[in-house]
Amino acid sequence: MDIADLNEHISRRYNQDIEDLRGSVLSMGGLVESQLSQAVAAIVTGDSELGLQVARDDYKVNNLEVNIDEECGRIIATRAPAASDLRLIVAIIKTITDLERIGDEAEKIGFLASKLAAMDRPSDSYREIKTLGNHVAHMLRDAMNAFARLDVDAALETVKQDELVDEEYEVIVRQCITFMMEDPRSIKRVMNVTWAARALERIGDHAKNICEYVIYMVQGRDVRHTLQSEHPDTAPD
Amino acid sequence: MSETSRKFLIGMLLFLAAGAGVGWLYGHLDWGLLAATLVALLWQVRNLLNFERALRTGDFETFRYGEGIWEQLFSRFRFERERGSRHKKNHRVLLREVRKSTNAMPDGAVILDVNNEIITCNRAAKRLAGLKRKKDRGQRVDNILRDPGLTELLHSGDHKATVEMMSPVNDGDWLNCRVVPYGADQKLLLLQDITERMRLSKMRRDFVANASHELRSPLTVISGYLDGLADDENIPPAWKKPVAQMRRQAARMRQILSELLELSRLEGAGPAKSDQPVDVRGLIEGTVEALGGHANTARMNIEAESTAKLQGNSAEIETVIVNLLSNAIRYTPPDGEITVSWRSGSEGADLTVADTGEGIDPEYIPRLTERFFRVDKSRSRDEGSIGLGLAIVKHILARHDAELIVTSETGVGSVFRCHFSPDRVVIEPPVPLAGDG
Repeated sequence: MDIADLNEHISRRYNQDIEDLRGSVLSMGGLVESQLSQAVAAIVTGDSELGLQVARDDYKVNNLEVNIDEECGRIIATRAPAASDLRLIVAIIKTITDLERIGDEAEKIGFLASKLAAMDRPSDSYREIKTLGNHVAHMLRDAMNAFARLDVDAALETVKQDELVDEEYEVIVRQCITFMMEDPRSIKRVMNVTWAARALERIGDHAKNICEYVIYMVQGRDVRHTLQSEHPDTAPD
Repeated sequence: MSETSRKFLIGMLLFLAAGAGVGWLYGHLDWGLLAATLVALLWQVRNLLNFERALRTGDFETFRYGEGIWEQLFSRFRFERERGSRHKKNHRVLLREVRKSTNAMPDGAVILDVNNEIITCNRAAKRLAGLKRKKDRGQRVDNILRDPGLTELLHSGDHKATVEMMSPVNDGDWLNCRVVPYGADQKLLLLQDITERMRLSKMRRDFVANASHELRSPLTVISGYLDGLADDENIPPAWKKPVAQMRRQAARMRQILSELLELSRLEGAGPAKSDQPVDVRGLIEGTVEALGGHANTARMNIEAESTAKLQGNSAEIETVIVNLLSNAIRYTPPDGEITVSWRSGSEGADLTVADTGEGIDPEYIPRLTERFFRVDKSRSRDEGSIGLGLAIVKHILARHDAELIVTSETGVGSVFRCHFSPDRVVIEPPVPLAGDG
């Protein structure tokens, strides 16, 4: 499937509907991306107001999800899409669920940021959260780019990044455990950091899911639970 | 009819006539005519086939010389063809030059059609925003650059506004986006790298904040000793006046520093939030009461017609009222009049401070909100003015989606109007007087 394939329906109105739908999924992606980067920035800069702002703005993501869901239902009902169009719609319905979850995680990070802002700040000002956050933000951006460009190679590349994110998360958790053992007074703060890292790790998983939907949408094969890490033999070329 | 076609026709007719003549000599005119026609037809068919072959193979030797209609036809064709390819080559060279120059541009440029689909983009767009010229052709640009602000800008059709967004390629870089209409229904999206500018303005803000902060502690020590000296009965009388003077200046310096800090805080902060609506009328009444009543100040009237409240920060709105009002007092003679009003309507609400003072020269009005700007350099310094008041007002208003509109006439007076957008105004039913605090 190619971008051009999406635009060859006999009805121009149908083309327009499909393009608009894709556009609104991607703008929802854009909103989620900015929510994520702001939430991470709120932790790193200790900006409690920004964190709360992110948490307050989550309703925008939710509204978009509902609207897009409705539009998908409308297209299925009125156009009876087949083949690649149907796959596109199915992939969109799944993608927006993951995007909405990412929005929820960002909301959570925003809340944690506002809590952390009121506590002592470590001397490295949460550098490890910043690194992990940047990494996850890249993953999400690459996933949305792969969705926009219907780019299977980029999607596969992005799926692989998830392992790195998991490793980084592991490192942060270990570090946090060490902090808590060294100084029990810091447990409350460090727990919040752990939760923020956990939320970021979850976002990485959701971004990975989106990449898998992209592969399904373009090639029509379901690669969930079959990628390199699980079954090295079926690694796509 | 051209010379060639005439020759061709005459030749043809003569040939047929000759055939008919020969046939007539032998007593078979019709046979002679038929034979001549067949020969002519064969000849033309052969030429036609030759011409087709020459077109196909590009070997034009057969037609190079001669004056017959086929040769003419051919040379005409060759001429047009060469001219066409010459033009094409010129265009290609031109296109290459244009592309080279757009690629050399430091700013990203993306050509969009009416649906915001990418037609082409230059190399800087790839470097700054990660667009791919070939791969992303036909893709909507907001599918790739998904910044919510940019999406809004593209759909708003606003060709003056700009949007700042983070670069999707290089972390920490900032891009300034602008949409310019061009051609029929086409748009040009310009992307400019403003990382350096953002860094400098952040540096400036940080510097002002840090410097003010650092200066504050030594100043506190100095003022402390000066306060002690001023109260000391034992110092020689000759020192009384200098000490008092130093104390005043130290207090002034402290005020400058705290206002600078306030300004840099306002600059860095986003839109103002509020938990409960601000009672503007109450603030106006309180401020007028606090500032007025002195013998040598102008009379102050309150025209608070509206009970509307404002979504915003109460302390900041109070600062706006205090700054505007104290400016008005400073520039209005004691026999003048100052009017503070608060009105609301469907288009928002207005807080207005009007005076009958000396007025402001129109050329200075745009510069009023600059830091440390004074209309009359010699005048107001000794009267407690610092020159930051209106700058602070401007920043507070910006945080409240409001704007400051200044109108003034020299010798008649000035009007400072703060216009708040309707989204910020809360209209409540009037409270009964008994419950009014």
